[in-house]
Amino acid sequence: MSSALPTLLVIPTGIGCEQGGYAGDALPAARLLAAASGCLITHPNVMNGAALYWSDPRLHYVEGSALDRFAAGSIALNPVRQQRLGLLLDAGIEEQLRWRHLQVAEGCRASLGLDIGPVAVSDEPLQVTLSQGASGASWGQLGRPEALLRAGKRLKEAGATAIAVVARFPDDPCSEALTAYRQGSGVDALAGAEAVISHLLSRELGLPCAHAPALSPLPLDRGLDPRAAGEELGYTFLACVLVGLSRAPDLVSLPSAAADLLRIEQVGALVAPAGALGGAAVLACAERGIPVIAVHNPCVLQVTAAVLGLEVWAAASYAEAAGLLLALREGISPAALRRPLTRLVV
Amino acid sequence: MRPAAPAPQPFTLQSFTVQVRRQPGPLLAQIEAALRIHGEPLRWAITAVEASDFDSAGVVGSLLTLEAVLLV
Repeated sequence: MSSALPTLLVIPTGIGCEQGGYAGDALPAARLLAAASGCLITHPNVMNGAALYWSDPRLHYVEGSALDRFAAGSIALNPVRQQRLGLLLDAGIEEQLRWRHLQVAEGCRASLGLDIGPVAVSDEPLQVTLSQGASGASWGQLGRPEALLRAGKRLKEAGATAIAVVARFPDDPCSEALTAYRQGSGVDALAGAEAVISHLLSRELGLPCAHAPALSPLPLDRGLDPRAAGEELGYTFLACVLVGLSRAPDLVSLPSAAADLLRIEQVGALVAPAGALGGAAVLACAERGIPVIAVHNPCVLQVTAAVLGLEVWAAASYAEAAGLLLALREGISPAALRRPLTRLVV
Repeated sequence: MRPAAPAPQPFTLQSFTVQVRRQPGPLLAQIEAALRIHGEPLRWAITAVEASDFDSAGVVGSLLTLEAVLLV
């Protein structure tokens, strides 16, 4: 098979994607696209299944804002064997829940061999609040962003090369939105705030970062959708974050003379939901002439190639997208695989 | 690790909804310039597009709605 075709996979969080809008339920698609491309760069929303995760050397775990900077050509990626993970805990987490998270970290050290520590607690509660945009997308706020950054800087100074952050999120076990999400018909109300937290930390510290929310356990729901089940298996959502970050590539500011970096110029394709093409990474890639594969994956947005004037390859599923990636990797024009095949114009 | 003493909050995060009339040329720079009027973009997305009658494709002149969280 031809050499790898580095590919970006974007499935924005908090917009209710049918595939990828729940608990790591885009992981099978990511694994397939990693196999087809030989090198897939994607973000925590795709990879994080709370207690469930998958590690594959062809999958590069890059937080969303870092992925945007990579697509813009501001940073490059440097794959590493292992990161030293700092664990940042919100001071707003109750003692018992804090112990649960520490024990997940201990378990990942003991059973998976991850390098975890230092650990820091923020000097005041981070005060996470949730909101929803007019579009239906989830968003959120942080009342004490500086407290997050202070704790992150202490971890970096203590030797952390990547940071897993756990913030206390508001419990709302009886809300209609949560019920709909658990039953497979709603938007993840936590996702927007999670992205804001990890974006802020990664952007300010220049380190790989990812977030897990701390929540009280939910009562049993017999109508639980399989796509949300990963979040019902334990007391925390932390294990997937620690595993993902443990081999996340370093973020290298450009220009850099370092060799063997993965740069945007090497990327051969981007895959994104057909209705969510209005994000920074997609637009940056499109403006660079990188082929965009727009996959049918219904969500609350209708920001399509047609309304943005983008040229894309449409795919009815991630399986079809994998075929398109293979074609690009082998130097076969995707147009040659479709009918009718239009005549050349002289 | 022991937490350090709390310090003043030098910035806040704020949610914005911004509308941008699309001009000819690359879109990304137009969006970032429109957001920077209000603050430093942290996370944003185009969440709706209203087509234009100005050109046949309805792209130039279309009205983009952005949802964003900015550092202010």
